[in-house]
Amino acid sequence: MTDKPPPPTPYSERPEWSDVTPLAQYEKANPLAPILYTEEYKDATGYLRAVVQSGEKSERVLQLTEHVIRLNPAHYSAWQYRYETVVALDWPLDVEMTLMDELADKFLKTYQVWHHRRLLIMCIGLSAAGRELGYIKQILAQDEKNYHTWSHRQWLLAFFNDEGLWAGELDFIDTMVNRDLRNNSAWHHRFFVVFQSGVREGEEDRERIVRRELVYVKQHISLAPNNASAWNYLRGLLDFNKLPLATITPFVKLYTAPLPAAAKDIVDVDNPPPGQGAELPCVAAVEFLADIREEERNVDEAETLWRSLADELDTIRKKYWEYRIAQARSV
Amino acid sequence: MTSFPKFSRIGHAGHVNRCLTGLPASQVEAESTRMAVGFYCLGTLDLLGALDSKTTDTDRKNFREWIWEQQTHGPNGSGFRPSPFATPDSLSEQPYGAYNGPHLVMTYTALLTLAILRDDFLRLDRKGLIKFMRSCQKEDGSFSIVPGFGESDLRTIYCAFSICHMLEDWSGIDVPRALNYIETCRSYEGGYGQNSFCEASGGPTYIALASIHLARPSSPLTAGQRSRSIHWLIHNQHSSGGFRGRTGKEADACYSFWCGASLKILDAEDLVDSNAQFIASCQFKYGGIAKTPGHDPDPYHTYLSIAALSLYPPHVPDDESTAVLQSWKFGGLDPLLNATTETVAWIRAHVPSSTTGQEPQ
Ligand SMILES: [Zn+2]
Repeated sequence: MTDKPPPPTPYSERPEWSDVTPLAQYEKANPLAPILYTEEYKDATGYLRAVVQSGEKSERVLQLTEHVIRLNPAHYSAWQYRYETVVALDWPLDVEMTLMDELADKFLKTYQVWHHRRLLIMCIGLSAAGRELGYIKQILAQDEKNYHTWSHRQWLLAFFNDEGLWAGELDFIDTMVNRDLRNNSAWHHRFFVVFQSGVREGEEDRERIVRRELVYVKQHISLAPNNASAWNYLRGLLDFNKLPLATITPFVKLYTAPLPAAAKDIVDVDNPPPGQGAELPCVAAVEFLADIREEERNVDEAETLWRSLADELDTIRKKYWEYRIAQARSV
Repeated sequence: MTSFPKFSRIGHAGHVNRCLTGLPASQVEAESTRMAVGFYCLGTLDLLGALDSKTTDTDRKNFREWIWEQQTHGPNGSGFRPSPFATPDSLSEQPYGAYNGPHLVMTYTALLTLAILRDDFLRLDRKGLIKFMRSCQKEDGSFSIVPGFGESDLRTIYCAFSICHMLEDWSGIDVPRALNYIETCRSYEGGYGQNSFCEASGGPTYIALASIHLARPSSPLTAGQRSRSIHWLIHNQHSSGGFRGRTGKEADACYSFWCGASLKILDAEDLVDSNAQFIASCQFKYGGIAKTPGHDPDPYHTYLSIAALSLYPPHVPDDESTAVLQSWKFGGLDPLLNATTETVAWIRAHVPSSTTGQEPQ
């Protein structure tokens, strides 16, 4: 893997390209931030400009655009021309997808690879979507928080909005959350699937869904109390369903102070206690309790909690906690 | 006792100046966004107040000429290319074709850069620009980077809104539809994602908040939305002083701007703790600022870090040396347009349609 393969034969020396005259890039004498191109790149893009100019759409153009894309995956014009060539040639889309599997993996952080996939999937239709979910899962196994990959999944699900596609999402999220309890992308995806994307068959009983989600998020907080993603999910869940924060006061209080050892043996599904060795008090719980007290107009207690955040537990946000005190006092 | 570090102004100016002169082959991916690289480099010099000392009149004239060379006209209106990368030498004077037209994000950065270079904007095709933005807007209210092709996300909405704001002419685009799109990007966490239903992230959140405030300054957010956004943003500040872009991620220098400017837009700048120590730790010893300590610097993180420092200049202890104190002095920054106060004043005086009698027909 350390040795780079030698550059391919320049297009200018390939007999099969002898009918094309490359077109040099226009560049003024005093360019801004010029790029010192490699000879290989200059050669390939010279031919790309030429075929774009002549309007040629052929198999060799697919090879050429692939070459340019491998050298510069952000070359959006090469991608655009490639896509239009694929369409014009009626090129087998499964072949193109196989190539894209390799390129997306390689250039994970480039917009264009995902955009091209999206265009292909829209051409193929629903039959491509199941395979795509599998592919995304595989990519996320290597880079669990990759933004483009998660966005692509959200787009895919929303675009097809197909019961069959949605069906496996909660299991998939479970896998991701179990691998890393603090993967905010996975928590976000759960919120999208459960609340933000409409009500699906079997999920019409929203009270049941809310109960299920409360149990889920509380269990995960009990496993790792200092997990901002889970606490944010909990806040989002209450807010979205217009439930008061005080819905979960008994649960939150378990996390605001070290627990007597005996209390840990009581099994209560609605109020799972923090596990052994949990770092308490949990900052997010103290904050949550302060918000509950503010909601209940118990400003004195809220202030005491905010004070402890400002002075000891979360000093980087001292100014914020003091602002919260002032706000609550001014009402 | 550790003393306050010095901010290496000269080193950072040197870093961006080197990039303006040329980028190595390994950075070939920058060629489809070269206009933005130019903006980050010249913007850095502008923020440091070093444009006049680090570049000559001739340099600045050449930069302006190069940017105007990228203005191109055609069936979808006028705008700026990222660079000549898709344009053959023989066709440079002709109307653009289907694959070498203007790019919406690059058009926004071109206008800002021309203002940084104090261009008179007499050559700006304003009518063409309005037509171009219209041709990029899609059904769902978002904009594609080039008409009819390419990805669309919140960045392009912000660029279109900024251009309308600079021109003081919003007639070319459907603002309510674009605002609806932004709403679909709002997340339960209080931030915004890059596209509909995506995870809240610092960059898109800045983009969304700035866009909403540009388009609807009198009623940008509900009180509840505002406090949830502040909550999420302020919780992104890490104990190191740096900001992270998403819940649970590590701090990265660029988010000092994206999150810090968002809080400024929300009128909550008093709640932010200093992030100068974190940015100081991201300085590369030979100049430039990296995303995290120990990484390679780049113009993007250099510019955004200094923009963040301009919004949140640190309180350097008085007993530090004059050299240290002076190194942390910055001018004002407009958080909505992301340019210095002076550059924004230049834009107001020269970009709006009403400021020139030389409108191309
Ligand atoms: Zn960054």
